[in-house]
Amino acid sequence: MAAQLNSISLVIAGFSIRLFSDHEIQLEDGYLPFVETQDVAEPDFTVHCIEHMPGIDLDASDLLFQAENEFQKFYSVYSTGSQLAFIIYNQQTSNEIQQIAFLDESFKHWTVHCEVVNDLFLPLRYPMGPIIMHYITLKTNAVMMHASCAFDGTKARLFTGFSGAGKSTMSMLWSKAGNQIINDDRLIVRKQEGVFFVYNTPMYYKDIPKKAPLSSIFLISHSPENRIKKLSGAMSISRVMAFSIQNNFDRRFIEGRLDLFTELCSQVGVYELGFVPDESVVNFVLANEQ
Amino acid sequence: MEIESLFQLKSKFVTREVGNELIVVPLSANVAQMNELFTLNETAKVIWENLNEGIDMPTLIQTITDTFDIDKYTAEKDLEFFLQRLESLLKK
Repeated sequence: MAAQLNSISLVIAGFSIRLFSDHEIQLEDGYLPFVETQDVAEPDFTVHCIEHMPGIDLDASDLLFQAENEFQKFYSVYSTGSQLAFIIYNQQTSNEIQQIAFLDESFKHWTVHCEVVNDLFLPLRYPMGPIIMHYITLKTNAVMMHASCAFDGTKARLFTGFSGAGKSTMSMLWSKAGNQIINDDRLIVRKQEGVFFVYNTPMYYKDIPKKAPLSSIFLISHSPENRIKKLSGAMSISRVMAFSIQNNFDRRFIEGRLDLFTELCSQVGVYELGFVPDESVVNFVLANEQ
Repeated sequence: MEIESLFQLKSKFVTREVGNELIVVPLSANVAQMNELFTLNETAKVIWENLNEGIDMPTLIQTITDTFDIDKYTAEKDLEFFLQRLESLLKK
């Protein structure tokens, strides 16, 4: 954990984000490689970090979205007039509020409130950071995916699927075959000047920022034998989109996503890939992708 | 499921036409449903597009038989299959 000045500039997936505060901001280790040493004059997004919790009464606000599973809450999104309000829960002590954040109607300016705990002021503490990144993608030609990605120097291949489908296994196998792993869990896919690129994002561990041109997407699952099937049209779009990170409470979010995925799936190959978890899948893909 | 409730349900989806198919995405506040997207085939797409306020089952079946040149029995079966699929979505 490294102490930083009261203003920090980050560049994530090519987006510039300036954090500022009256208090000394600290970042989890995974963010440090994404810090820009020179302040960005006009950042794409700003995050005003405040070291106390606001008094907030959400009784009169509309609950728009609740991210939770059977074990714990992750975050809730409310509509408060022109702003969105986010209640972020601590992932270790379930249901304890960790941050309260507000996003203005331009989706460019955040205000994040959190307490200083054990002398640490961590406004982007998980899951706040990924939530901000997700909302950045909603207003841009980008999307966050649960996926791993391997880059051979020319082509980036993205592997996505249900939990346990083998995303990390694929990373390990393609890494052994000499590929650079962009990340094995969470990625941003972004369209820039008509081309789709894949980026890593800050994780809980340090890794350098990476970017690669996306070539193909594989919907993976374990299988007794390697098998591949190319998908197209509506099927490819709906299957890939299902593995993106979504807050589908707003019709405009979905429409934007459908636009993006329609273009993405027309530009890159989409395959259903059943694989045996050994090195054979690498050569199998290289021999059978079109 | 009644046609009327299906028509109301229609407003809770966002759709996108791709070729002869339709992608159907639920507007949902429930994160558990986010891995569910539906691709409707050509028959289901015609049913979906004709689920307008005031339509009744015989009219819908007639539309299907007229569009696809199939008999009434097949149209009823297609409609029944489609309604069951939507019902399964609601139960998730």
